[in-house]
Amino acid sequence: MITCDEFFAEFGDYLENRVSPEVRKELELHLSQCRACHVLYDSTCQTVKIVTDNSSFDLPRNISESIIGTVMAKLRADRA
Amino acid sequence: MSFLATVELGHEFLPFAAFEEDSGAVPNLLRAQSLLPRAIEGQVILEGAVRSRGVISRAQKERILLCIAAARRDVCCASLARTALRSLGEQDRQIDRLSEDHRRVDLPAAEAALLDFCLKLALHSLSVSISDIERLREHGIDDESIVEAAVTTALAIYRCTLSVGLHPEPDDGLWRLPPGGEVSVREPAAHSSSGTRSQTGPYVRAPYLSPLTFAPFVTLMNTHGFIPNFFRAQSSRPDLLAAEVELAALVLLPEDILTRAQKETILLAVSAANLNSYCVAIHGNLLRGLGMSTDEGDQIALDHHRSSLSDPDKALLDFAIKLCSQFSDFSLEDVVRLRALGFTDLQILECEVVTALNNFANVLQLGLGIEHDFESPRAFEQKKLNRRVVFDRRIGDDPSSSSIMAQAEDPDAELAAQACAGSLEAFEELIRRHSRLIYRALVAILGSQDHAQDAMQDVMLSAYQHIGGFRAQSKFSTWLVSIARNKAIEYLRRRKNEVSLDEASFDEDRDLRPRELQDWGENPEQAYSRSEIRQLIEKEIMALPAKYRVVVMLRDVEHLPTEETARQLDLSVPTVKVRLLRGRLMLRERLAPHFAAAARSAVR
Ligand SMILES: [Zn+2]
Repeated sequence: MITCDEFFAEFGDYLENRVSPEVRKELELHLSQCRACHVLYDSTCQTVKIVTDNSSFDLPRNISESIIGTVMAKLRADRA
Repeated sequence: MSFLATVELGHEFLPFAAFEEDSGAVPNLLRAQSLLPRAIEGQVILEGAVRSRGVISRAQKERILLCIAAARRDVCCASLARTALRSLGEQDRQIDRLSEDHRRVDLPAAEAALLDFCLKLALHSLSVSISDIERLREHGIDDESIVEAAVTTALAIYRCTLSVGLHPEPDDGLWRLPPGGEVSVREPAAHSSSGTRSQTGPYVRAPYLSPLTFAPFVTLMNTHGFIPNFFRAQSSRPDLLAAEVELAALVLLPEDILTRAQKETILLAVSAANLNSYCVAIHGNLLRGLGMSTDEGDQIALDHHRSSLSDPDKALLDFAIKLCSQFSDFSLEDVVRLRALGFTDLQILECEVVTALNNFANVLQLGLGIEHDFESPRAFEQKKLNRRVVFDRRIGDDPSSSSIMAQAEDPDAELAAQACAGSLEAFEELIRRHSRLIYRALVAILGSQDHAQDAMQDVMLSAYQHIGGFRAQSKFSTWLVSIARNKAIEYLRRRKNEVSLDEASFDEDRDLRPRELQDWGENPEQAYSRSEIRQLIEKEIMALPAKYRVVVMLRDVEHLPTEETARQLDLSVPTVKVRLLRGRLMLRERLAPHFAAAARSAVR
């Protein structure tokens, strides 16, 4: 079986679903037998899911409209 | 006499001695490269690996090398294979008949099928598909043999490319290539290749090899930061793979003659001329890693004449492209033209070796159906679809080669054109459409929502000021984000906060092994309200170092694909992948105390 370090070397690509079938087989065998890597894998997937589902950083509409208003007023004044 | 100057290397030069021991003589093709001993060394390593052990017999491989050289009417390479075959006991008459047309020779059915495959791969590599591989399997040919045959074919192309560029005398000056006609290649009946995604690779199984202990993979991790599928796909033959990694390192890494960037540019432009999407994608990315912008890389793949390369560098690319795409017209004049531009014979030789290596890789990738590591630029794929091959055209008379492709798929194209022409209404609509995009780009770099709001106005004004400079080569939104990004970086610098989002050596990103390994249970976020979660995540993302924050924002918050994230940031995909993983792991580490605890209390 591959080592934890070897698992970790392919981990990023595994999360992104970018590994070949042969590599995937090795990684999944390791996951099924190593608790530490399993927890790592599981909690990293949850992290990504939580970030993705709770898509944040929205700019309140009133703020964006007020900024656009200021910018356009300035541009129209410059042109006049 | 060959096209380029040579020097005497003598018998104490080990690669010559090795070749001589194996084949009885040092071929002129190697002597003609004597200005660049490391190239000879690399080629001898590859030749040795191909011809030594294996599932295919040595004579069979020499027959492949002979038939391909003969089909290309390359008397020097044919003569090289002929010498080897004679030393293996093949009759002269048999060799002559083989070089005329292998089908007239009585070969076992499996070998004839393999030769058919190799010739098709050598002469029409873009039309090779999985059905060719299936036909080989019907003859009982296994994966290892297929890899070996494909590498042998690629070696034949490597040799032939050098032979065109160097024009050494045939080793056996008295022998003449029999007058063979154009070699026809048997096409599968129901096969229509558009040259695009005709392959559903990978064609052969690739057993797992450890990136931490298999030496060539360790080398690749150190030099490139990742292991291209090109090498992974050959893992059933680690010996061949190892030889290729050595050759590539000897040819591509040194900076003393041509720079690494110049060599990568040759690889990109020649792969593009060969219509090889895989290699276009990989070299475009490697160039980004060396600091070239995404747009410039795309432009070189599309038409290097329109790039901002220097005139001599463009001439060097013309030279390299002619060496593969129009090799029957290649002559000493092409060499003389480069000399007149100030290139030395050593530089010209290195360019030829790089081109040979490129063709080796292009052919092998198609022969094994090796899957893409990265996407190739859309405009290049469009061009490829149109089959408008760059080298067929006069310089710069094709408007489709740059702007139109990008425009066709940009939903903002029309408004952007109006705004360029001075319409304030169009401009207002554009910034309204993309205000959130601007905001998030600013947040990502500034790491503060308040500062981002402050910077919005500046970005919008700056976009208006510079709209005349917007080129429809890229999408309008990409261009707008790049303005926001530059503004944000300017802001950070002004706050005396040293920050770099640039490519850096991958070593700095290595140590990211996690520490916190408590189980999170299922749905740990259920212990919190939605607004609590949102606050927590925003806070922790803001707290990430800028270069990780930017990637996490684009990838996991904006949901951009990794490729697009890399393009937007002018970073290579491998760099983005490393930073994304590190950013995600840092977040995981910071969220763990909340969610692991939630899991524990939920159990209780
Ligand atoms: Zn483990």
